[in-house]
Amino acid sequence: MRRWLPVVALGLVIAVAGIVVTLVTAGAPPTDGERAATLAAELRCPDCQGLSVADSPTASAREIRRQIDELVAGGATDDEVRAHFVARYGEWIRLAPSSAALWLTPFAVVLAGVVLLGAWLVRRRPRATAAVGATVTEAQRRAVHEEAEALDA
Amino acid sequence: MRALRWLLVPLLVVPVTWLLFQGFGRDPREVASPLLDRAAPSWTLTTLDGETLSSADLAGRPYLVNFWASWCIPACVDEHPVLAAAHERHGDELAIVGVLYQDDPADAEGFLARYGDAGYPHLVDPDGRLAIDFGVTGPPETFFVDADGLVRYRQFGPLTDARMADLLGLVLPVAAR
Amino acid sequence: MIPTIGHVAVLVGLALSAYAIVVFVLAGRSGDPRLVVSGRRAVIGSFVMAGIGCAAMMISLLTHDFSVLYVAENNATTTPPFISAISLWAALEGSILFWALLATGWAALVLWRHRDRHRRLMPWVGATLASVNLFFFAVMTWPGNPFTRTDPVALQGLGPNALLQNHPFMALHPPLLYLGYTGLAVPFAFGIAALVTRRLDTDWLRIVRRWTIVPWIFLTLGIVAGAWWSYEVLGWGGYWAWDPVENAALLPWLTATAFVHSAMVAERRGGLRIWTNALVIATFVLTLVGTFLTRSGIVASVHSFTQSAIGPWFLGGIVVAMAISLTLLAWRLPELSGGGRPSGLVSRESAFLLNNVLFLGITFAVLFGTLLPLIVTVTSGETISVGAPWYNAVTVPMFVALLFLMGVGPALPWGAASWATLRERFTVPLIAAALVVVAALLLGLQAAGSLGTLGLAVFVAAIMLDEVRRGAGARARGRGEDPATATWRLATRNRRRYGGYAVHLGVLVMAVGVAVSSGLAVDRTVTLSPGESAEIGAYRITHERLVVEPLPDDPRVIETRAEVTYAGPQSGSLGTALRDYPNSSTSIATPAVRTSLGEDLYVTLLASDAASQTVTLHLFVNPLVVWIWIGGALVGVAAVFAIWPEPRTRRVTADEPMRTAAPASVEGA
Repeated sequence: MRRWLPVVALGLVIAVAGIVVTLVTAGAPPTDGERAATLAAELRCPDCQGLSVADSPTASAREIRRQIDELVAGGATDDEVRAHFVARYGEWIRLAPSSAALWLTPFAVVLAGVVLLGAWLVRRRPRATAAVGATVTEAQRRAVHEEAEALDA
Repeated sequence: MRALRWLLVPLLVVPVTWLLFQGFGRDPREVASPLLDRAAPSWTLTTLDGETLSSADLAGRPYLVNFWASWCIPACVDEHPVLAAAHERHGDELAIVGVLYQDDPADAEGFLARYGDAGYPHLVDPDGRLAIDFGVTGPPETFFVDADGLVRYRQFGPLTDARMADLLGLVLPVAAR
Repeated sequence: MIPTIGHVAVLVGLALSAYAIVVFVLAGRSGDPRLVVSGRRAVIGSFVMAGIGCAAMMISLLTHDFSVLYVAENNATTTPPFISAISLWAALEGSILFWALLATGWAALVLWRHRDRHRRLMPWVGATLASVNLFFFAVMTWPGNPFTRTDPVALQGLGPNALLQNHPFMALHPPLLYLGYTGLAVPFAFGIAALVTRRLDTDWLRIVRRWTIVPWIFLTLGIVAGAWWSYEVLGWGGYWAWDPVENAALLPWLTATAFVHSAMVAERRGGLRIWTNALVIATFVLTLVGTFLTRSGIVASVHSFTQSAIGPWFLGGIVVAMAISLTLLAWRLPELSGGGRPSGLVSRESAFLLNNVLFLGITFAVLFGTLLPLIVTVTSGETISVGAPWYNAVTVPMFVALLFLMGVGPALPWGAASWATLRERFTVPLIAAALVVVAALLLGLQAAGSLGTLGLAVFVAAIMLDEVRRGAGARARGRGEDPATATWRLATRNRRRYGGYAVHLGVLVMAVGVAVSSGLAVDRTVTLSPGESAEIGAYRITHERLVVEPLPDDPRVIETRAEVTYAGPQSGSLGTALRDYPNSSTSIATPAVRTSLGEDLYVTLLASDAASQTVTLHLFVNPLVVWIWIGGALVGVAAVFAIWPEPRTRRVTADEPMRTAAPASVEGA
């Protein structure tokens, strides 16, 4: 029975993950209000310090939000709304760089680190020891080892 | 191979130092304008005096659009006489238009009464639409537009006499400089 | 008179630090203990000098002595005494003075505490710390003299920055943060000393770990206090905006945390000497880089100052620190590499090292994002922004992976883990996590991020509980104690491990707080006339009246306050205001926050019209925010527990035989 437990656990986790993903992706297409809110969170407030237009209380942020609402209601796509403001302020008005390379760079660094770590560990993997006297079985050795760990600092 | 470890020092220190050093002398809040060498936005607004003015009225002449506010102290106070002097000297071939940035018209009139009204019109931009069209991030900012209606320069921060003289050279015809 | 005393104290501090460096270097080379004593006294002396300087500045602030330029720029006759006192660290020059006090304090403490030990290392530790102190005294002597005088003396000062007067946390957040920053020079000094003397062993690791965790605690509390402060004061409803000054505090925290973990691996299995040393150096350099970025004015930030002469000096300091430490590292590289017992691909070591890779990944991302606008402007002339959307998208997956490792790592054995171990340790927690997520889903929680974090939190917590249960159970069986006593005794006799678990628990609490408050917060903006109401979440907000009046303690400040009542899970009244300070062109928001364990009701005043008494309010309901602060406090307390010295074990005499599980055979003996 115990041997099946991990398989059950894994199955449950995958099932739950699947439910969550379906919930997220099968949602209704965003309403105009939701689109406007998302766009407002992507644009920078021109006279604040790094806040988005959605979070900022200034008059210019209010006006930009109003213009976003107007454009979205008038049928503009998300890209057209962004382009409208980029034409006036430049790329600076977007709170995140549009170049995909810049988004991927940190992940590439982490991936490189993981690969290097893996290579380092593999090179230094402990050698398999020849079976010594059969008085202590592998299971007993492991049990002792782990019991000691449980009490260890 | 062992000698390569010494490369560690310059490889890390030099680029970091160079980059951080380059930051000096620049204002990190200054933003490059996408309007350069493009047509200036068109507008029709009311002035402080109550008249209606539109960008079409200025067609064919070079003009400056200066965004300012009565609460923008001391920068707008410092550049005020510079603009007045430019208007005085080049008023025939150059138009200057002030635009109130997030300001109350009464406060603006008070500012002009206190620091002097040079005589050029000031537009009231109640929602800040014009400021957004020009991509203004905060007063004072001045846009230099040539006779063909193209934006030639965006001055970020207050103007000085020397700066004004240099920048006017970009928009005024040679004879008038 | 007093400012002159302060200035002279700074000069004496400069001289004492220079003397200390010379003496310590000579002591390091010759081994003469008298030189060490002399150097230590010089450092203690420089601490006293910094104290005198700070006292002089504080007195000048409290007496409103406008002959001092710093006081004229940051104080006014109407400034309340409490605000005057904390203005010591309100602006650039004063904060460097305060920094010098703390830096010399740490140096004096370290040198005094280890005065009879580690005789080979301490001279070089002293020399390094004295060099850091020298740097700050030098900045105060030349480009950034806090005691610069004004002539003629103004009758009234400009007053403190409006934002700094709004909240008592101004007294807490900078000192905590600075204690963290300055304290991280100590492990750096030990790192340099170890490279110079080639004494990089387990002993070194143990000392450096202690001297890293203490400033780490302050840095953690300082960062959390800063987030709490900006949440309560800035009015946009959030607590972390990835502003350069926030990133500056986070960067050394990330590398210091990475160090604490890899130090455990190094202590246990040997090896990793280059890596741990590099981390300690990186942490200190990052404290300098972070301070430089926000104080040099080259990066725009809510905290930035205009470019002054101090910037180039800081850059010089960074270059010198990097050059010296990297040269030493490169010099000793051949001797440091290798060593350490090998470990399997799936083991506690690999989990800890993977954690380091992730921490360093986040450090890279944050540094990259902060510097990218500068890089782009310098190389192409274009201007771009890097803001919250980018940082969140990039760092959140890495933090989630770290949360997972936080659960898995401590449960893996050292050396190598077999499939049986993995099955045994992780099956039940996985099932528990999946069940909780399903239950939450059925109860109506649908946000994917919150569900994921909840599942992860249950997974990690279940593993921790299992570990504690197993250890306490073994102890209870072995000594005949009841479970509660067994758990307590186990924890207090293994403070490192169980304190570590408690720190992780605090981190979990914070993670759940962050995930739920950012995923499930609701907000809306409404305009109300007196008597009108609006609904948000489970609350009903009613606008009562608009009041415009000067502040009682500082009549130069005019407050426009909307008084509002609210009903719902909490009920009552609150006032949210905009304050006009005489030296600020924009109004400062004073949001009102009503906190409960379940959620925060947060109201900001955006605009008002005195004639019609209408107000525009931004309303928020932020769930579980208070748990972020509670979790942060837990992390601090748990970390203190973790490094608290363990009680000395009692000697067991022959009269007290240890009880075993099978006493029967003892009876007839």
